[in-house]
Amino acid sequence: MPVIVMASPKGGVGKSTCAVLLASEFARMGADVTVLDCDPNKSLTRWASHGVPVGVTLRGEIGRSEIVPTIRSADGDGKIVIVDLEGVASQLVSRAISQADLVIVPMQPTALDAEIGSEALALVREEEEALGRSIRHAVVLTKTSAAVKSRVQKELEAQLSGAGIDVIEPSLVARAAFSELFAYGSDLTAMLNDPEMVTGGKVDKALINAQAFTEAVYERLK
Amino acid sequence: MSGSNRLAGLKARPKDTTVEEVRRVDEVGEARGFVDRTPRKKPGRKPSPRTYQLHPKVFPEVGKAIASEAERLGITQGQLVEKLWEVYCKSTSK
Repeated sequence: MPVIVMASPKGGVGKSTCAVLLASEFARMGADVTVLDCDPNKSLTRWASHGVPVGVTLRGEIGRSEIVPTIRSADGDGKIVIVDLEGVASQLVSRAISQADLVIVPMQPTALDAEIGSEALALVREEEEALGRSIRHAVVLTKTSAAVKSRVQKELEAQLSGAGIDVIEPSLVARAAFSELFAYGSDLTAMLNDPEMVTGGKVDKALINAQAFTEAVYERLK
Repeated sequence: MSGSNRLAGLKARPKDTTVEEVRRVDEVGEARGFVDRTPRKKPGRKPSPRTYQLHPKVFPEVGKAIASEAERLGITQGQLVEKLWEVYCKSTSK
């Protein structure tokens, strides 16, 4: 089953949020999902400490020398492996990319994110050349506005498409519920159904966004 | 279609994980600044497990002889005292 790697040398772009949303949604679809937390900030470990959805297993403390064997051991029939990487340019990142069936590069619609994120895209292409096989990769724009598409976002999408880069639609909108997942753990469905979980955001819209994003990722894994 | 049926359509591509392939990946990454950033261990000498301190006063010629013998053997004066203690223990059947 596929290995999905979240990669960007820039921190704070939404790698961990993407990983949590995909893990939750694929688990809800019935997959056995293993999430590898390779980020020294341990965002996913913090999320999991509040509880993980049924079907999701988290493994942390994975370094450069363990990443390839850990992905190999977690992979198997009916299993999806999601790797959340650190926001730096490291050998751990390049090794994880080499094991991916899909590399997702989250990017906020800003010039800085685009510039630093493009390093990850360039690395994927160079690894493809060195290994002699294709590694599917796509950009997802994150923390976008729910109301309007900014001029910068439109320009960035046009630039990415012009360069032949796959851009996942829909983008992930800036939603309070996404960030609150790390405070409550589990998934958006639990957040929606539990009156104890108080959130200032619109969980139902966040869930629709997450499901559409997961569907778009699923289409790329077929 | 149910979730599990849909997931059956997902496939992983075969990937090599030979030492040679990992080396190539490392080379490509390093050329782009994706280098080994594994935290290094704290540099310097590790603290000695020898924490107990003796305060012997000896005649100067004995002290000089012990110091030079330890230096000749490439060990600390404390290690030399330990060796002496070992011999002493054997000789007195301690």
